[in-house]
Amino acid sequence: MQIKKILNEKEIRDIEKLIEKNYGCKINLGKYKVFKTGEEKIWIVEKGVDMELCKKLRCYAMGMYFGKLKRNNKIKLSMEGAMMIGKIAKKNVAVIDEGEGMKFIEGENVIASKLIGCEQNNFVIIKMNEDILGVGILRENFIENLVPKARRINF
Amino acid sequence: MIPDAEKLFSASTEWKSIRVNTLKIGRDELLERLSEKFEVREMPWYENGFFIKGDITKSLEYYLGYYHVQEAGSMLPPLVMLPDKNDCIIDICAAPGSKTTQMAMMMENEGIIFANDVNSKRLRALAHNIQKCGVVNCIILNHDGRFLWKKGIKGDKILLDAPCTASGKIIKNKNMTWSYGRVIRMSKLQKRLIESASKCLIDGGTLVYSTCSLEPEENEEVIDYAIKNLNMEVEKIELVGIKTRRGIKRWGDKEYEGAEKAIRIWPQDNLTEGFFICKLRKY
Ligand SMILES: C[S@@+](CC[C@H](N)C(=O)[O-])C[C@H]1O[C@@H](n2cnc3c(N)ncnc32)[C@H](O)[C@@H]1O
Repeated sequence: MQIKKILNEKEIRDIEKLIEKNYGCKINLGKYKVFKTGEEKIWIVEKGVDMELCKKLRCYAMGMYFGKLKRNNKIKLSMEGAMMIGKIAKKNVAVIDEGEGMKFIEGENVIASKLIGCEQNNFVIIKMNEDILGVGILRENFIENLVPKARRINF
Repeated sequence: MIPDAEKLFSASTEWKSIRVNTLKIGRDELLERLSEKFEVREMPWYENGFFIKGDITKSLEYYLGYYHVQEAGSMLPPLVMLPDKNDCIIDICAAPGSKTTQMAMMMENEGIIFANDVNSKRLRALAHNIQKCGVVNCIILNHDGRFLWKKGIKGDKILLDAPCTASGKIIKNKNMTWSYGRVIRMSKLQKRLIESASKCLIDGGTLVYSTCSLEPEENEEVIDYAIKNLNMEVEKIELVGIKTRRGIKRWGDKEYEGAEKAIRIWPQDNLTEGFFICKLRKY
């Protein structure tokens, strides 16, 4: 794993602001070490990790992939990133019913039963009952599926 | 020969075991959800373990990472180790990460786990499972465990879930092959790994050694080697709800030190894979 940058407090706060802007909720990333790898990918790792020591080791990966920064102040959250935020998110949340939920898990595009403060062409968090299923992009008539292939299930 | 071997095979393959991922969901909530879809039995030796009948890799809860599919016996080494939130743990042979993710959840995602494996292909599965379980306290390393001590990392606790001939898996795979030559090669590798593990451990630290092999050369003999050469002593293991037996003290003309405190889990006793576990302390 090639760490490009370990984010300082201000840079972490900028990501928190980005989350607030897109999802209308406050999260505390300051309790983690936050770093960037290639393609603007953001990772979080336990604060106690000695990053200097890790540089001396052959490190394949570290912590949890949180999401990828995108143009126009957007962020494509990982499934786990979406789960961290989804329970408290107040906008850009698409609610889907169980039938659509099963399709979503299989990797298909879906139709939302309710859109909460969603912006066209932004990344939306997909919610089914109390579960957060991941993220998609809100298109004109549907939600584009962004579940990684390795995480899909074929029922 | 094990009596009723056929019954044993079918019972052990019909019921799959899973571990709740408490980093994502509460145990009782998952139990309630799964009970609506599957036949579920609670695991007598671990509150977060369930036996389930049905296709457990095709459920919403599996997709969400609310549970991890893990062999019932494989949940025991972390229970012997009892990782703590403040620990720095080294998991020397970690892929695909069943025990790593279990330890991470026991640590409530705090402390640090160095999860190492030599096999870069298996690291993908390790990274996948760590991500899916929502683990943030793991650093995945790709070193040959035999030389890890040269890298300057020290652990308060070490898990050496060693590569082995896996003869304890016989309960799930009747067609496995066995050769004494492989047993001996594994035994040599395991001794080198435990030597490296002891050097990575702080004084007074705990090392849990485990395999899913039934061969004394891969188990009691490795412990005997550690006691005689590596400043290590064996500690008693306390597990409840599972039938365990003591390690094998005498094998052919060999006599092993420490075997009386090591435990063996035989496939026929609990319908799990066979396992050997020993807890050692460095003095
Ligand atoms: C029994 S498996 C580990 C299972 C894992 N602890 C779990 O619970 O999912 C043994 C692992 O040891 C790894 N291994 C074999 N030789 C090794 C070595 N010299 N150094 C480090 N890892 C090694 C293998 O690649 C394999 O992934």
